[in-house]
Amino acid sequence: MIKFKYNRQTLLLFLLLIPFVGLAHDVTSADQEILRTGGLWAYIRVGATHMLTGYDHLLFLAGVIFYLNSFKDILKFITVFTIGHCITLIGATYTGITADEHLVDAVIALSVLYKGFENLGGFEKLNIKSPNLLVMVGLFGLIHGFGLSTRLQSFDMGEGQFLAKILCFNLGVEVGQVLALIPITFIITLARKQEQFPAFYKAVNWYLVLAGIALFVYQLYGYFTGH
Amino acid sequence: MKLNKAFFPKKYRQLFRPFCFLLVLLVFCSHDLYLKMETYLLQPNQQATLRHYNATYEKRENIITRDRMLDASFVALGKRAAIESNAWQDQDSTISQLSFNTGEAGTYVAGVSTKARNIELTADKFNDYLKHDGVLDMLKAREENNMLDQDAVESYQKHVKAIYQVGDIKTDDWKTILGYPIEFVPEINPYEKYSGETLTVKLLLDGKPLPNQLVYADYIPTSHTHEHSDHEHHHDEDGHSHEHGEKGHAHDHDGNTHSHGEETHHHHDDSEATEGHTHTSGQQLRTNSQGLVLVKLPEDGIYYLRTIHMVSIPDNEALTHESKWATLTFEVTHAHGDDTHTHDHHDHEDGFPTWVFVLGSVLIIGLLFILFRKKN
Repeated sequence: MIKFKYNRQTLLLFLLLIPFVGLAHDVTSADQEILRTGGLWAYIRVGATHMLTGYDHLLFLAGVIFYLNSFKDILKFITVFTIGHCITLIGATYTGITADEHLVDAVIALSVLYKGFENLGGFEKLNIKSPNLLVMVGLFGLIHGFGLSTRLQSFDMGEGQFLAKILCFNLGVEVGQVLALIPITFIITLARKQEQFPAFYKAVNWYLVLAGIALFVYQLYGYFTGH
Repeated sequence: MKLNKAFFPKKYRQLFRPFCFLLVLLVFCSHDLYLKMETYLLQPNQQATLRHYNATYEKRENIITRDRMLDASFVALGKRAAIESNAWQDQDSTISQLSFNTGEAGTYVAGVSTKARNIELTADKFNDYLKHDGVLDMLKAREENNMLDQDAVESYQKHVKAIYQVGDIKTDDWKTILGYPIEFVPEINPYEKYSGETLTVKLLLDGKPLPNQLVYADYIPTSHTHEHSDHEHHHDEDGHSHEHGEKGHAHDHDGNTHSHGEETHHHHDDSEATEGHTHTSGQQLRTNSQGLVLVKLPEDGIYYLRTIHMVSIPDNEALTHESKWATLTFEVTHAHGDDTHTHDHHDHEDGFPTWVFVLGSVLIIGLLFILFRKKN
């Protein structure tokens, strides 16, 4: 009974944190103002804000951490994800390569769906060998980085200190990622100790699947309708 | 993949800035003196060019000769520095230009003030000039006093300012009063205002607020993405009333069109200047009792305020009228960036309210948890 109570508290804590996730990307016009007037610090701040309020990135990270049991694994996978998104964030922004934001975000939505599906043992149920998770996390890191790059490029970055601005934004993203990972890891670690963790695990990962599908459809709708 | 679309508009705009500048010269400056830059948004320590343009109003003026300048100065970082007369270079018969280094970041002012000069005009020409340059109060006074048939000898002087932004840092130099006989002084830094907003500007005559004075404000869009139909100048039979909408910019002169959005400009007659092409386009404003006007900034563009304060000189053998001209130029950009209107992310957010996502997520996870707990 007590364990169940704890479990409910964990669930409650998780649900309470969703609003922060739900702030997703509500940072644009204000961000442009910050970038316009705030110098390089502004890029760090906006990068961190974007990561902290980007539901797609956080959902994917939550999915990755759900699958991992040890801190060492978490560190390894997050490092690979970070390297991946740094490559495309810096490279694509610096070279001015971008794509339609809706399409990029649609692929990122698929990464959320993928992670939920994998965590639920979807590949095993289909008798398909699941791809190497580390490789997939690296690949999705590249895609998430490209999404961050398209977002950064949608802002007016002014002229001068172009590379420095990109690097500062990237630094902000990493800061935001660390800040986001702390509560995510804490909640998941706490939840693991609870008796009802399997139900919680399934609930959250099914939610990732559903959220991934919904976001994917939403982004495609945006792409085809121009909204 | 494709090239960054956010970069295209910027390059596009930069490409067309010289055309905008030309349009500015042709459309708005036939009779006025303005301080011009290709853009008023500059980077620190870059070379920039400031031009003063003085077209051939009634074919009476050429470049402002150096000896006619009472003052030419920059105000930056709280210091006012005179521009030496030999720094100006004549580009042609109507434009002089000055190359300068922008220096450190800040919101700065450039100003030029000219000495008074006299001109004699026949009654018709004087009336025509009053009408087309928007000195309507004087025209009305002449009508009411049956003086429309009287020739005029006018003393005129011009005092012009430009406010430009260097880099991202805003300084207080923009509100510097240069002490000209007439001058515009914004109440708020124009570079802290963005398209869609308004800017309050004070008009000073001899250092004091000038109430009940006609002021004209207009702009050249820099985005080039507007619809012409929303921003049109209509010329009635009398010639020359203009009406502006929200966006776009088009003139129609007896069937001939100025179509700014497409970077074309057709005058019906090269002698238009001598026929009194109107310069009262845009917003027609009148200062309130505190000398303030509220200028709308409907879209990104280079904005121009102009006014001519004219008084009669009844007991003077040499003069009948005295006028003081003032202009102010500055640039306004979009609050989300000056080079794009394709902020997909805004649409993204506007179309997907956060509360829907939060509520939906909470409900789904909660329901799934209950479902799987029961199942287990």
